[in-house]
Amino acid sequence: MKILTERMEAHRTDSHTIERYEATGGYSALRKGFEIGPEAVTAEVKASNIRGRGGANFPAGVKWGFLAPARPAYLVINADESEPGTFKDRQLLERDPHQLVEGVVLSSYALGVNHAFIYIRGEYPKPARRVQHAVDEAYAKGYLGKDILGSGFDLDVTVHLGGGAYICGEESALLNSLEGRRGEPRIKPPFPAVEGLYSKPTIVNNVETISNVPWIVSNGGIAYASIGPDTSAGTRLISLSGHINKPGNYEIVMGMTWRDLIYDIGGGIPGGRELKAWIPGGSSAPWFVPAEHLDTPATIDDVNDLGSMMGSGAVIVMDETTDVVAAAHRIVRFYSHESCGQCTPCREGTTWLERIFNRLLNGQGRMADIDLLIDVSDGISPGLTWPPAMTTICPLGPSATAPVVSIMKYFRDEVEARVVSGIPVALEAADG
Amino acid sequence: MKPATLSEAEMDAISDWSESSQQLVRELLGKYPDKRSAVMPLLYVSMIENGYVTAEGMKSVAVLTGLTGAQVQSVASFYSMYKREELGKYLVSVCTSISCFLLGADDVLAAIEDETGVPDGETGHDGTFTVEHVECNGACGGAPVVLVNYEMVEGVTAEKARELVKWLRDGGPDVVGTEEMQQLFGGAKSFDWAVREPEGAVLPVPAFAPYGSARGVK
Amino acid sequence: MADLVTITVDGVAMQGKAGEVLIKVAEDNGNFIPRFCWHPRMKPVGMCRMCLVEVVGPRGRMLVPSCTTTINEGMEVDTQSAVVKKAQEGVLEYLLINHPLDCPVCDKGGECPLQDHTVAYGPGESRFVEEKRHFEKPIPISELVLLDRERCILCARCTRFSDEISGDPLIEFKDRGNAVQVITFPGEPFSSYFSGNTVQICPVGALTAKPYRFKARPWDLEAVESVSMVDSIGSKVSVQSSQNEVVRIDGIDNDATNHGWLSDKDRFVFESIHSADRITTPLIKEEGQFREATWGEALDLVAERLTSFPGAQVAGLGGANSTNEEAYTFGKFLRTIVVTPHIDAQLDDGLDPQFLVGVTPRAAIPDLETAKTILLWAADLKEEYPVLYLRVRRAAAELGANLIVVHPRATGLDDVATHKVRYRPGTGPEVLRELTGDDADYTEIREALAAGPVVGIVGRTGLGEDPRLAEAVAAFVRDFSEGKIMPLARRGNVVGALDMGLAPTLLPGRVSESAAHDVLESEWGPLPEGLGRNATSILEGLRDGELRALIMLGTDPVRDHAEPELAAAGLDGAEFVVAMDQFITDSVAAADVVFPVAGFAEVEGTVTNIEGRVQKVNRLVPSPGQTRATWSVLDDLARRMDGNLGATAAAAIAKEITGVAPAYHGVTWDALDWGDGREGLLLPLAEGVQHLEYIPVDGQLASVDARYGLHLGRVLYDDGVRVRMSPSLAALRPEGAVFLNAAALDALGLAPGSPAVVEGASGRVELPVAVDNSLGDGTVYVPANLESTRSLGAAVAVTVSPGGDA
Ligand SMILES: Cc1cc2nc3c(=O)[nH]c(=O)nc-3n(C[C@H](O)[C@H](O)[C@H](O)COP(=O)(O)O)c2cc1C
Ligand code: SF4
Ligand code: FES
Repeated sequence: MKILTERMEAHRTDSHTIERYEATGGYSALRKGFEIGPEAVTAEVKASNIRGRGGANFPAGVKWGFLAPARPAYLVINADESEPGTFKDRQLLERDPHQLVEGVVLSSYALGVNHAFIYIRGEYPKPARRVQHAVDEAYAKGYLGKDILGSGFDLDVTVHLGGGAYICGEESALLNSLEGRRGEPRIKPPFPAVEGLYSKPTIVNNVETISNVPWIVSNGGIAYASIGPDTSAGTRLISLSGHINKPGNYEIVMGMTWRDLIYDIGGGIPGGRELKAWIPGGSSAPWFVPAEHLDTPATIDDVNDLGSMMGSGAVIVMDETTDVVAAAHRIVRFYSHESCGQCTPCREGTTWLERIFNRLLNGQGRMADIDLLIDVSDGISPGLTWPPAMTTICPLGPSATAPVVSIMKYFRDEVEARVVSGIPVALEAADG
Repeated sequence: MKPATLSEAEMDAISDWSESSQQLVRELLGKYPDKRSAVMPLLYVSMIENGYVTAEGMKSVAVLTGLTGAQVQSVASFYSMYKREELGKYLVSVCTSISCFLLGADDVLAAIEDETGVPDGETGHDGTFTVEHVECNGACGGAPVVLVNYEMVEGVTAEKARELVKWLRDGGPDVVGTEEMQQLFGGAKSFDWAVREPEGAVLPVPAFAPYGSARGVK
Repeated sequence: MADLVTITVDGVAMQGKAGEVLIKVAEDNGNFIPRFCWHPRMKPVGMCRMCLVEVVGPRGRMLVPSCTTTINEGMEVDTQSAVVKKAQEGVLEYLLINHPLDCPVCDKGGECPLQDHTVAYGPGESRFVEEKRHFEKPIPISELVLLDRERCILCARCTRFSDEISGDPLIEFKDRGNAVQVITFPGEPFSSYFSGNTVQICPVGALTAKPYRFKARPWDLEAVESVSMVDSIGSKVSVQSSQNEVVRIDGIDNDATNHGWLSDKDRFVFESIHSADRITTPLIKEEGQFREATWGEALDLVAERLTSFPGAQVAGLGGANSTNEEAYTFGKFLRTIVVTPHIDAQLDDGLDPQFLVGVTPRAAIPDLETAKTILLWAADLKEEYPVLYLRVRRAAAELGANLIVVHPRATGLDDVATHKVRYRPGTGPEVLRELTGDDADYTEIREALAAGPVVGIVGRTGLGEDPRLAEAVAAFVRDFSEGKIMPLARRGNVVGALDMGLAPTLLPGRVSESAAHDVLESEWGPLPEGLGRNATSILEGLRDGELRALIMLGTDPVRDHAEPELAAAGLDGAEFVVAMDQFITDSVAAADVVFPVAGFAEVEGTVTNIEGRVQKVNRLVPSPGQTRATWSVLDDLARRMDGNLGATAAAAIAKEITGVAPAYHGVTWDALDWGDGREGLLLPLAEGVQHLEYIPVDGQLASVDARYGLHLGRVLYDDGVRVRMSPSLAALRPEGAVFLNAAALDALGLAPGSPAVVEGASGRVELPVAVDNSLGDGTVYVPANLESTRSLGAAVAVTVSPGGDA
């Protein structure tokens, strides 16, 4: 079952053009939407049970319901895709931008929004070119602008390029950035749906979430809800990367096990090596290991129940050769580099973690560093549970603790050995 | 969305900018309900004019958006793509985040440092290359990934990275495009790119047409 | 009344107003939650994470920042749990990672929240073994403030202050994550009139004030509460000394006036107190030269000379920089010992005294919090009343009031104004007529004014402007729904001086001379008959020989009167001049005898601000040399002139005032020192009465017709004596210039920087010309009271022509 990638697979070379889009039923959902009216469009999205694909997995219909009545209101598409391991939105932006644009028009119509923004990360000029081109085409064809298709509905779309900052994927930081400010997350409440862009009611949704809207309107929310498990309805794009034979994006119906995903879909581990661990939902998520998780189902709720998350649907696979201390360091370094710097525990704590890891990697580790790593993590995310308790404004800081906790939980012996010998365990094994 | 009209003071602030950049400024200011929102795109335009984000450039952006220099500097310095030092003709960025790291990104970076003679985070004396490691670039399925002036090449090996550097150094292309480089130096991709696209970057500024640095690849 | 909400904190039930944040409600009820970034006068940012507490909810306990969490009914809070303690320790340990341990040499050591919190809530020791972050040693971010980035804990108090409160966001965060630092922009220093506030609110020693740096250790400081007398806003201050020297002035938070903020002038003017130029002995002029004299000698001489003139040939000027008690004694001395009616505390640069103290309904500063619309037709507040500027800025920017600014040039508030009207000086009456009439240009403004409550802040936009225009504006505002008037008067205690009767038409207690003459005679004994002369008339009388002697109290007419030539001629024409002052100003230099008197921080007493709020000023340091309190000098003088003022102590005078001055009934020092009175007492109190109820009139002024109208506007750092005597501030005085718009420059064939001559009825200047495109056609702006501009004098109609050889 394919929703998002059907067109691009069937029409390799021109799925991004308006001609192909129209020829394959594109913008017919929009016509239908204008016929059934905004309340009915909203009702379909609610009925679909689609949960946000940006990472938090929050039901889109419920979020839309929170939109405060004040106007103007805004719709902002989160195309900042920066969570390590994630590259699905890039494909949607490049290969089927009109699907997103139609979703934007439908969603704006449903929400009573007359100006929408697509915030694309700065390192994505090519996706931005495609989207801008699609927006221009849509204007030219009357799918955007004034009185769209004679419906009386007006919509402008601004494509905005980021400046290089992972934190701008967090929705309130994104809004600050879009306002021309530092991309610092805002205190919540108020939530964007009440006070968002320019302090006006704003809905922020992920590219993938909104790209599903045309299908939902065409086929009905119930049809969408009936795909896959109840609370993980619909299809979703999974990004496979790392030590895997067939990395890439896969549109799947949720519910298969991790074994199916990694070995069937992903083709297993290169060189027939052993699977050591994987991250089930972007680098922020606590790790899974084969002994405990390989035969559990990959659904939002099952993964939550096991103390991790599906997040942005990015699966990062690590084989037996992986130096877990170095891998954890890489992830911690990412969060330290990307911390916006507002919260003391995140700003100072993630950097401290990184520096302790640096010492471990340089062979200057001490046994006490193991407890210190855990305790510094605990200061950022008290109790070290998942979803994380936080001493911070946003979950970026706590995300940095996930790899620390994971390696201490599953590979503590390797960490200890690392402190003692200063040499990565995986290397030692390889040498003999 | 109509282009904005600029006041005398605003025009003064960008009087030494090219006419096309001045036109861009008007268009960008017209795209947002609040002119402060144009700060980020305008910073890119200032990079097109000055090569990097200079104090004068920030001052101009400040005038255009009604901010102080300190406020513009505060925004510019938050993001990693607004470079505040002179750059080489080619900004070579190597992703070393987790997925690329697992597949040998550190070797790719080392090869590029060695081949260019430019250490991570620096610009070579002859002004050809700036080399940097960067965090995840959304190409994890085609790891390791290298960007040249933000045009992406996926599935790069250490050897291919050296060839890429040579190609840039010897050929000195004015425009670098993701498609051409991918074909010459790339390997596995995150997904099927499917279409050849004729556009590329002429500067270490993202080649996104509204901000003006894109141009056709020969 | 805001709804009250009940919450429980650590088992104790407490109440707060709906919408208030937890940290404040807890503190108001005696439970102090540690914090760094939270400041009660700024929007919370929840960044430092020091104030985390646990809120117990239906879904368990949640760690939340108490500075961003608003209270709800029934909220249950734990500030002491193990999780909270752990979080506090964590935050402190993280903060200390990069904070240098240089407390012994840090200005903040001893009064540092980071130090205090570390002792109270911190971990025993740091486990951080890596190297700390290093920055270049302190960098000056302005003429007055130094920044030590190593010590900064990134609480964003300074950056928020400059952005939210003072509206000059010149100090900002730079970079991201662990590299974040506070900094200015190259070539754009933090030259704010309010920079000192950032030093005061910095929770560590990252921002330090040059005038205070290394002057004292906090534990050596003595302090008193007082009121800034730099302007008439009545900002509450803490004056602090070390070894009998005032070394620091900080703002004190109060709702009534300054919210804790000060201008840098309020804050750093203390340097003048200990200036080497203070007069410390009495001086007698002999053959054109001053010589030091004893008090006995000087007093005898003055008593003898004053007695030699008929009372009506003697006049008194000044008192607007004195306390109420000093001003009262000065007036009583003049009216009952010298027996003269010629008294003026203003120098004809203010508003009609009856209007100033008697206008009704009168706006108080807190009325700005509830005003829907504010009409500001007065001086540029940022230059003349910086703390009031902050309050109006807040009203417009934060509280959503409509702000209408009418002024000849751009003002500091234009960026938050909803409507701006610019006009050529001299044409104000016409603008007012259009505004009151049905001129279509002003429809929106009239509509805004129709939405009350309206506060009209009125005063003279520049020195040349007819004061009756302000009155006419007030008459206009009064007609709007809930319209209230705030008339502006400049000098520190000018309202107090007028309330003490230092004007020809007034007697003590906000009463008119005509109405209260007989009543006061029953207290004071016989008073001179008839109304006296005002300042200009006094100077004219002296010049023309109709008056023969002058007593000055802390006033400098040669610099401050609108016609400097008249002032000089008046002093020159006087047969005998006595000055009571702290410095040899241009006017004091013309005196025959000078009495050195004590000033701010050296005397106690009361002052009355523009709202009519009485507050206490206090004594902290001894006055230098042989200086004496003004009242005691006058008391001595009176005895030598066979009179008795009964001025035995400031407190005794204060008691007399409450008895004699109707509006001051009930204003006791006790009431001002304790309880609610510490925010000042707004007159009249229940016991007091204000007989004078002045109804402003629109006298239908004629506009002045001229090719060029002169806007002679004050700047904060001018050549007034206290700025000149405070080295840190003196360095900030701007250069004088003639400002015109670019088109005018072209028309006159002038290039920026080339000389231009401005000439009017009261004088002339030749100065470099500069461009100010906020000026309309025909408006020329010259900053008032700078050394280079004083010769111009106030006139509206002027000519402008190329200077130099051109
Ligand atoms: C640190 C952080 C980074 C995030 N990055 C992204 C991102 O790159 N893309 C995205 O769509 N959502 C991201 N999110 C989630 C957004 O805040 C938000 O939940 C999402 O955009 C909402 O869209 P959805 O409901 O359609 O998923 C991030 C959240 C956090 C806390
Ligand atoms: S947790 Fe980190 S990234 Fe998130 S707001 Fe705080 S400092 Fe910024
Ligand atoms: S005081 Fe609450 S987070 Fe700083």
